[in-house]
Amino acid sequence: MSDNVLRLENITMQFGGVVAINNLSMRIDQGEIVALIGPNGAGKTTAFNCITGVYEPTNGAVYFHDKVIAAAHPTGKMVRMYAGSDPEKFKDMHVVMTPDRITEMGIARTFQNIRLFKSQTAFENVLIATHLRRTSNVFTAAFGLNYKEEKHNREKAMELLRIVGLDDVAGEKATSLPYGKQRRLEIARALATDPTLLLLDEPAAGMNPQETLELGEFIKQIKNDFNLTVFVIEHHMDLVMGISDRIYVIEFGKQIAEGTPEEIQNNQAVIDAYLGGNDE
Amino acid sequence: MFDRILPYLLAGISVGGQYALISVGYTMVYGILRLINFAHGDIFTAAGFFMVYLTASLPMTVSIPLVIVMTVALGFTLERVAYKPLRTAPRMSVMISAIGASYLLQNLMWYVTGGLAKQYPVLPWLSDNVQIFSASTKIVTIVTPILTIALVVALVALIRYTKIGMAMRAVSHDFEISQLMGIRINSVISMTFVIGSGLAAVGSMLYFTNYSTVTPTVGAMPGLKAFVAAVFGGIGSIPGAVIGAAVIGICENLIKAAGYTAFSDAFTFALLIVVLLFKPTGLFGEKTAEKV
Amino acid sequence: MKKMSKTRLAVSLAVVALLYLGAWWAEATLGTNSMLITVIKKGAVYALIAVSMNLLNGFTGLFSLGQAGFMLVGAYVYAVFTIPLKRHAAVYQYYNGGLIQFELPLIVALILAGVVAAILAALVGLPVLRLKSDYLAIATLGFAEIIRAVVQWDSLGPITNGSNLLKTYPTFSSTKIFGTTVLFPLIVSGICIGLILLIINSTYGRAFKAIRDDEVAAEAMGINLFHHKELAFVISCFFAGIGGALLAMFQGTVQANSFKSAMTYDILLMVVIGGMGSVSGSVIASFLYIACSEWWLRFLDNEMFIGSFQVPFLRSGFRMVVFSIVIMVMVLFFRKGIMGDRELWNLRLPRKKAKGRDKQ
Repeated sequence: MSDNVLRLENITMQFGGVVAINNLSMRIDQGEIVALIGPNGAGKTTAFNCITGVYEPTNGAVYFHDKVIAAAHPTGKMVRMYAGSDPEKFKDMHVVMTPDRITEMGIARTFQNIRLFKSQTAFENVLIATHLRRTSNVFTAAFGLNYKEEKHNREKAMELLRIVGLDDVAGEKATSLPYGKQRRLEIARALATDPTLLLLDEPAAGMNPQETLELGEFIKQIKNDFNLTVFVIEHHMDLVMGISDRIYVIEFGKQIAEGTPEEIQNNQAVIDAYLGGNDE
Repeated sequence: MFDRILPYLLAGISVGGQYALISVGYTMVYGILRLINFAHGDIFTAAGFFMVYLTASLPMTVSIPLVIVMTVALGFTLERVAYKPLRTAPRMSVMISAIGASYLLQNLMWYVTGGLAKQYPVLPWLSDNVQIFSASTKIVTIVTPILTIALVVALVALIRYTKIGMAMRAVSHDFEISQLMGIRINSVISMTFVIGSGLAAVGSMLYFTNYSTVTPTVGAMPGLKAFVAAVFGGIGSIPGAVIGAAVIGICENLIKAAGYTAFSDAFTFALLIVVLLFKPTGLFGEKTAEKV
Repeated sequence: MKKMSKTRLAVSLAVVALLYLGAWWAEATLGTNSMLITVIKKGAVYALIAVSMNLLNGFTGLFSLGQAGFMLVGAYVYAVFTIPLKRHAAVYQYYNGGLIQFELPLIVALILAGVVAAILAALVGLPVLRLKSDYLAIATLGFAEIIRAVVQWDSLGPITNGSNLLKTYPTFSSTKIFGTTVLFPLIVSGICIGLILLIINSTYGRAFKAIRDDEVAAEAMGINLFHHKELAFVISCFFAGIGGALLAMFQGTVQANSFKSAMTYDILLMVVIGGMGSVSGSVIASFLYIACSEWWLRFLDNEMFIGSFQVPFLRSGFRMVVFSIVIMVMVLFFRKGIMGDRELWNLRLPRKKAKGRDKQ
């Protein structure tokens, strides 16, 4: 259980003069469900974007199964403007990977503001995500020489839709589905890339308590069925407390606490952050 | 050497000034609508034809202001008809509408003129010859850069110190927010087209005094070049557009001087691609304060 | 799109075969020089070019305006390599009979036209495909202009004949099938559009559409943006090259100066009228566009008298004015075009099945 899947070392993300994440370090182990919580604007989604290659961090390194997937240190104008810590520590490291490379390595994600392929059906949305593991090239694909793989992918996409309970709306336009279903479709799409680590960005946003409860069970179930490690950003505390093995709390880009749900619930800094006048 | 280059250099500065006057129209519209107004080059051509037809029956003193008024009206109408209905449409649709509008204007001009090249009237004084060092040239060559700079300075002052100028800056900074702040977006956009078309009309008088004939498609190439100038200078920046236009005008003529006339157009585009690759924001793209 | 059922595929192919047969019969009865045959040939050529552009603009969401440049390359490659040797002295009269002293079989030259355009596209794509939306448009437009200037460069004259015409290469009248000229362009264009359709319906086509819909999400699903954009660009330009070669065959002479940006705009308008993201739409629109501009609206260019009353406005040039007004109305009020992003053969049945000159 202690085989660590994801490790963040001193990640700082600075946009101009604004420090969105400040010296964040964390560790997620195989088979865990870890939550990242914090008030709005604390930098949670930015952390996801640094992990998935959407942003290149200003400083720090990200490891996935002990392989560096992102590493950077302040350069150019940022050297002067840099307001974070440890600018020297990663001096010799510079690794940039595009999001598709990172997905290929086994990290899949969903989006806070749902980003489905809007002209496509639910089924096609999932099917597109199987493109990553193709063995065909454009010629074999065009002439249907990959028909076995194509058939397998179609079955896989349908199976994933069944797992998330959307097989009955497979042929409908993705964007015509109700909000909750779109969120589940995003999860199915992420699973179709065969990940080992799943990043969920506010999967319960806009869901009612009943749906949230079901979602919690669902996340636990897919974690076991697909042998996943799950990293989730969420605001619904019931969900977070119900499913997480460990929780990280950040505020203004800085980690303020880390621990089991019980520890977090009794942590004074966390209570202050949430009740001390911050909007939540 | 200097004697040989001088006429080209003078022509370059002059053409650069003319491009600059067209370029301002592109850069302002792009700054506000994020739209490459493909029809702007045709507005420029239309101004040329207005002059041809007006001077046929009216004295020059009446024709010149009338040309400017008519060109401005055309630019205003173009915006109302082709772009305003697409305010919420995807950017690609608006661009396609711009291409369609350009197509329409060109065909309309072809229809009216019968496709024949029209002789541009000789503007008094501007067409007179003048001697500069060893080169003999028309007065327009000297007038163009001076007039261009004067107009651009006036425009920058307008944008910086007047209320409408402030509104323009606000709209180019954030379209939606300015709308919420009660700025009348449509009048700001119309104003942009009015200014752009007016300057294009002035540019066309200077340009055609040098080139003497007008055809329906003559504006396409200077139009594209002026757009490149705007990108080169940093789109949205008026001084940038002027400097970009000067650089393009001069380089183009120096290339002609070197004997590669066929490449003078290609050069402009090569320059564009190099700029886009290495400094996509252009020379002055970063100074958002100058954005319009 | 949904997988096409076997019956629909069979019906569609049968309809295409019937249309081909009809075209053959029309030429056999009306003669090669009839307006209908000219329009069908030119329409077939433009259908291929419009579909190739739709692959980029409609399916992959890349707003490229370089089509004319790549057509030019295709047209020149075809013409240069198929001018009969004994005609070289006459064609390359200013360049001592030219540099290339061999000729290729027609089909080989046609494919080579596509290949050269594709290679050039691969090179051009490396820098420009990293640009976004309208910057991409203006950069590709710029490249097309550069290509046009380079081809006319005097130093390349021994190959390209500089700014002079290329002529006497084989045209559609030398590719008669069953005694008619109309089948060759229809068949070549049909095969090429068929290939594009196969690509669009494959997993790669889905990836293209994903990029069009949402680049960020596509990348997060493991789709390498640059690789796929480059692929779409190369494929599109390959077929644009072949389309250019067909256009050269149609025209009988070819000269770089006719491949201006206006030509790209024409094709773009066909794509828009047909519907961005619809292959059958592009095909229908191409035929309509060509028929209107070459044929049906011709009468607008001629002065007309009813009795002694002269119909106003009708004179040379009016056709194009009416035509461009129609286009503007389409662009402003029917933004989805004829087909939107649907295909004829996927329409629900109560409507008449494939009736146009779909899917050449």
